[in-house]
Amino acid sequence: MGSMAYGAARRTGIGVFSQAVLEVKGALCEKTIRTALDQILGRIPLLHGQMARDWRNLAPYWKVPSSARDSAIPLRVVDLPAHESGRAEQLFADHGNAPFDADWRHARFLLVRIGQERSRLGVVFDHRLLDAFAAETFFRLIDLTWQGRLDEIAPRLKQTEPAHADNWMRRFKSGQTLNRLFLQMKTLNVCFLTMPAGNAFRPNRFVHDGLTPEESAGFIRKAGEEIGVPILSPSAMARAILAVRQVLGSMSTTGTDYMVFTTANLRVPGQEWETFLFNHIVLLPFWLPAEGDATAKDAAIELRDQLFDHMKKQVPFALSDASALGRIVPHFIAGPMLLTMAGGRICSFYFACLRDAGFSGETFLGLPTVNLIHKPLALSPPGLNICMTHFRGRFNIVVSYVEGAMDDRTAKRLMEQFKSSLLR
Amino acid sequence: MADAITLESIHQQLCTEIETLLSLKAGSIKMDTDLTVLGIDSLRFVSLLLAIEQRFGVNLMKTGMTNEDTKTVRCLAAAVQSGRNA
Repeated sequence: MGSMAYGAARRTGIGVFSQAVLEVKGALCEKTIRTALDQILGRIPLLHGQMARDWRNLAPYWKVPSSARDSAIPLRVVDLPAHESGRAEQLFADHGNAPFDADWRHARFLLVRIGQERSRLGVVFDHRLLDAFAAETFFRLIDLTWQGRLDEIAPRLKQTEPAHADNWMRRFKSGQTLNRLFLQMKTLNVCFLTMPAGNAFRPNRFVHDGLTPEESAGFIRKAGEEIGVPILSPSAMARAILAVRQVLGSMSTTGTDYMVFTTANLRVPGQEWETFLFNHIVLLPFWLPAEGDATAKDAAIELRDQLFDHMKKQVPFALSDASALGRIVPHFIAGPMLLTMAGGRICSFYFACLRDAGFSGETFLGLPTVNLIHKPLALSPPGLNICMTHFRGRFNIVVSYVEGAMDDRTAKRLMEQFKSSLLR
Repeated sequence: MADAITLESIHQQLCTEIETLLSLKAGSIKMDTDLTVLGIDSLRFVSLLLAIEQRFGVNLMKTGMTNEDTKTVRCLAAAVQSGRNA
């Protein structure tokens, strides 16, 4: 899936990246953040690394090019008077839509201070080196660095990626598992949004909403009762699919099935620093018919059964094993190949329901935290991403969509439909 | 006929299973450890249910569970025992 995503991204000339935005009460100090970022870069030079190959044996590795060595992690600061606070959303949207200026850059920051009352710090991160959980953990790393505790954490940060040139029998069996999954997926007639014509990059637009802590607790309770097991993603995903069905119908004129790729975090709890770098998230496929009378509960139970089936067949771990292919066949070759084989259709949309945040502190650099939201970039195709994240007891929901794939009014209706279904 | 497994044995096996799942040292998980604070996500929870089905022949998904059943190992073991006796 990662290769197809990169194939799509390469075609549009931008990367595969997302943005996480942390909001605090009060005015964050620019100098404090710059100092912390410089210290972090000093201990994790790989943050300015790029993939390279040894010319003798073609083995892949990460190197920090000389052009990167004197460069700091970018931090742009914008001060807005309180009466212009509405501009902040567009600033972060523009920040999230801009490409990186070099292949060796994997993170950049934007600090928007709204008077002295509020600050928002956004990090745009490249999924080759950092995933969503790592982006949240990055905030925690900045906070710990400010507290003088970077030396405590640094020895635990692994800055090398395995070559994956081992355990070939296990990887072969993983490949077989995935082949069977792909054959199953090929029987689907996938619905998808029609993308704007041409290969030029189209920026993403975002709609953000959320649930209160009481509403969030209510959904967590209901989701568990609904499917007989206390997990959230089947119920959340079912409601996202039914909202898309309600608002977007079958999306294209020929599709009959929704296929949704959902993020799954393979990290082991307690190993957050050891797995800070590199992507530890896989995308699991789920599917439901585009038409029918299924209730949210029926759909959630079907998705629950698909999740169990994936786990019985060890699909998440097979996907992780298969990512080794990227070390042998680069994404920019494998991606377009897979995209062509899939007929340009990756899925109907991407979905994420992330429960455990990588940062949930009550303060950040001494200031009280308010919220932490994710704004993933929706790739083209499929052009639509629905992301649910959890921060200190409340769910945030962001709908990201490629400009031109749908209009703003439709996106807001989709958000309203999804949110109201979570509350019913 | 189901093998006779004591509740204590179920407790012990569940503790071991959760320790393995979360890469914790043996003995870290006790019967009354609060499982809700351990950060067991959806994937790991499903792995745990599959392991329970394999070890004890009980499909907790079919028998139905509530959030109360997963609060501690003691609660989970009781759900397993109840499933075996059903």
